[in-house]
Amino acid sequence: MLSLSDIVSGYGSQSVIRNVSFDIPESGLVTIIGPNGHGKSTLLRTISGIVRLQSGEIHFEGQRIDGLRIDQIVGRGVVHIPQGDMLFPDMTVQDNLLMGASLVRSSNEIAERRGKVFALFPQLEERKDQTASTLSGGERRMLAIGRGLMTGARILLLDEPSLGLAPVVIEQIYKIIKELNDDGQTILLVEENVSRAITVSDQIYLLDDGRIAWQGTGEELSSEKNLMEVYLGV
Amino acid sequence: MDGWIQILVSGLTVGAMYAVSSVSLSLVWGALNVLNMGQGAMLAAGGYIAYTAVMSFNLPIPLAIVVAVIVGALIGGLMYFLIIRFMVGKEGFETNVIVATFGFALVLENLVLRLYGAYPLRQPIGLEGGWYIGATHVPYQNLLLVVVSGALMIVVAYLLKTTRMGRSIRATAQNRQATELMGIRISWVFLQVLLIGGGLAAISGIMLSTLTTLSPTMGYDPMLKAFIICVIAGLGNIYGALIAAFVLGLFEVSIQFIFGVRFGFPALLVLVILALVWRPYGVFGKRKTERL
Amino acid sequence: MKESSKNIYRRDAVTGVILILIAAILPFVFPTRYVVGQMTVFFIWATVVSQWNLVFGVAGIFSLAQMAIFAMGGYVTGMLGLYLDWSLWVSMFFGGFAAVIFSAVIGIACLRLRGAYAALLTLAISQTMYLLIITDTACFFRQGVTCRNFTGGTRGLARFGDFGFREILPYKYMAFGDYFLALVVLIFAVAFSVFVIRSPIGLAFQALRDNSNCAVARGISRFKYQLLVFSASAFFTGVAGAVYAGHFRVMGANILYLNLLLFLLSMLIIGGVGRIWGPLLGAAALMLVDEVLKEFVEWRLAGLGAILVLFVVLWPKGLAGIVDVLATKFRRNRNQTVDIKSG
Repeated sequence: MLSLSDIVSGYGSQSVIRNVSFDIPESGLVTIIGPNGHGKSTLLRTISGIVRLQSGEIHFEGQRIDGLRIDQIVGRGVVHIPQGDMLFPDMTVQDNLLMGASLVRSSNEIAERRGKVFALFPQLEERKDQTASTLSGGERRMLAIGRGLMTGARILLLDEPSLGLAPVVIEQIYKIIKELNDDGQTILLVEENVSRAITVSDQIYLLDDGRIAWQGTGEELSSEKNLMEVYLGV
Repeated sequence: MDGWIQILVSGLTVGAMYAVSSVSLSLVWGALNVLNMGQGAMLAAGGYIAYTAVMSFNLPIPLAIVVAVIVGALIGGLMYFLIIRFMVGKEGFETNVIVATFGFALVLENLVLRLYGAYPLRQPIGLEGGWYIGATHVPYQNLLLVVVSGALMIVVAYLLKTTRMGRSIRATAQNRQATELMGIRISWVFLQVLLIGGGLAAISGIMLSTLTTLSPTMGYDPMLKAFIICVIAGLGNIYGALIAAFVLGLFEVSIQFIFGVRFGFPALLVLVILALVWRPYGVFGKRKTERL
Repeated sequence: MKESSKNIYRRDAVTGVILILIAAILPFVFPTRYVVGQMTVFFIWATVVSQWNLVFGVAGIFSLAQMAIFAMGGYVTGMLGLYLDWSLWVSMFFGGFAAVIFSAVIGIACLRLRGAYAALLTLAISQTMYLLIITDTACFFRQGVTCRNFTGGTRGLARFGDFGFREILPYKYMAFGDYFLALVVLIFAVAFSVFVIRSPIGLAFQALRDNSNCAVARGISRFKYQLLVFSASAFFTGVAGAVYAGHFRVMGANILYLNLLLFLLSMLIIGGVGRIWGPLLGAAALMLVDEVLKEFVEWRLAGLGAILVLFVVLWPKGLAGIVDVLATKFRRNRNQTVDIKSG
């Protein structure tokens, strides 16, 4: 569904991502892990169009999307849920969700999607008229994901969904991520929390210094004692 | 008693006019981070266009006003296409855009000067006559201005709160990148904001010209006052600007009534100095939007 | 490879000397009253802009009070001359000190504010000063039957004397006195700004600009440094005001007009913010443009406006930025790879 060929990208003249290539199949759940500051977020931001590609190509559902504007890429169904949520702090939960549905024409469709989001995250429904800044960390994360779901994304790019959350909440969020994927949602995940990644992913890529240093399934990763120690301190 | 009624009437009228202008500035600042130094010139242009529509084209007054608003909006759009569009996202944008909009204002002002001359003109738009509350004469014109302003503010509030466009504008003001990630073409939002801002400025100018006279530099002082109002409210806070506009309108008129006309503006200035020393982000403002 | 600092200093010094020589010879080549007068005004504005460059471009304070400080210097100088009969040569320095104190007060009030808020507060201060002067109608003292107000009001402050060149110099060279005085003030002002920009303080500000959190963590106190630069630069701004007062022999509230403020701000921005030679380039460019536009009186405003827009949209790094690019190309053509951070 999404394929990256020889991606080189970065900020200014610097290259953070060097010659990365991989594919994500439809309904797959792929996770990128790796040390901090080595490009995981930059990779997602390159796909969503925030960071300009320096060389290489990105194809989505057969069509090239690199070089397009951010809003055009979202229009194709590639939805990036950024690190740190990036909510609209003075807008209500409702309004934040409605922003997610910005590209949706029919109000029936919007109501339907909102219903689904509230079913997944009942806390959000309880707080639907509260402003985003009054929510707890976990609730904000849920709102960010819910907002992303409102777009009807064909592929979700999730940047560190467990960041800054309590274990109980992380549990909840990952349960939902797994649920979504089981229902057919294609997901590209970036995660620091390796053990979580192992439990949900079909395929894992280790990004070190901007390059893919290893790839494999969750089980394969668990058995790679060296990697687990060196890179992930396990 | 009569004095207070006089102050109330004048203050609300002046506040009504400031409100329209301040909301325009606040919208543009909030969504674009642009301190529109062209506001004053756009105000004047609005007044003059309405004048021309009535005097030269013999349009009925309501139509003339509509025409002036549309042209005002287009001027805002022009500002976007010729200037803002190329500067967004570049280094030093906030300050460079002040110089750029100032340049735009100069061109606009020059055009007005060439077309109409520097001699003050009388705006043919306006209602004659008025009421009497006690011994105070309350001109119909003033009431009309307050009503029009109120109606406009309701429309703007509705727009922002319930429409898709309004939501996008609010979102852009709070987090530009997040808005783009929702699939919204941000350049569209910028254009819309400048169109609305331009239209509002034109209305404000028409309002002002019915209270005083038309002159090429008529917009300069009101622009400064609108800045002051926005800053006191907290830049980008639209509802705050609305409230502050009326409060400060009443305040200015009170000072003028009690101490003399020439102390009105200085009193406003002292107020903004004190307000900012007390609250550096404006009375209703807060530090640059917290990232959530 | 970064150009060594010795080379940079040498380049600054050489550029400076060449400019000074040109400026020294110029009035003898074009000795007309008009040209010499205009150049004098250019020196005065260039001084103001050079200090504004320090405040805004280096220290990052978005202040619009520059002309208020200029006015403070000019008015205090004039008043000392008018009311205490002091020679302008002496009161000039007191004007500068008054400007320093004034700006320190402004600084304490507005340095807490960020960006546009600081701009509006300082603009409000400037406008307040303007209105206080304009509405000053109370009689301060009587001269015969005429009533004079303290600040000169709308008529302006006058009759405080001048720098005395009319008595000393022959008629043909009378204007040269003010010319060279303004030039000397400019030289000191620019030297001061070079000093600040190249000094540890300048580097500290660069650090604050490049990575604010890191710099603050390392103990660089933004407020302290900003106050220092804000106040110190006010001295030359105030002295420039004094020179203005002595040259025109009148101080009026017209120097506080928004149009003039924005004209000077444009010099700063078009010249190139934060650069050493930016103010000079910007001041020269805009005064030239203004001269040219004087021919087309009816379109003067629009011409200036259009040029401002063009510059800010196309060349946001200003003239100094363009010079930089050209110089880099020139050096590259001489087969040297140099990473220049010039002024």
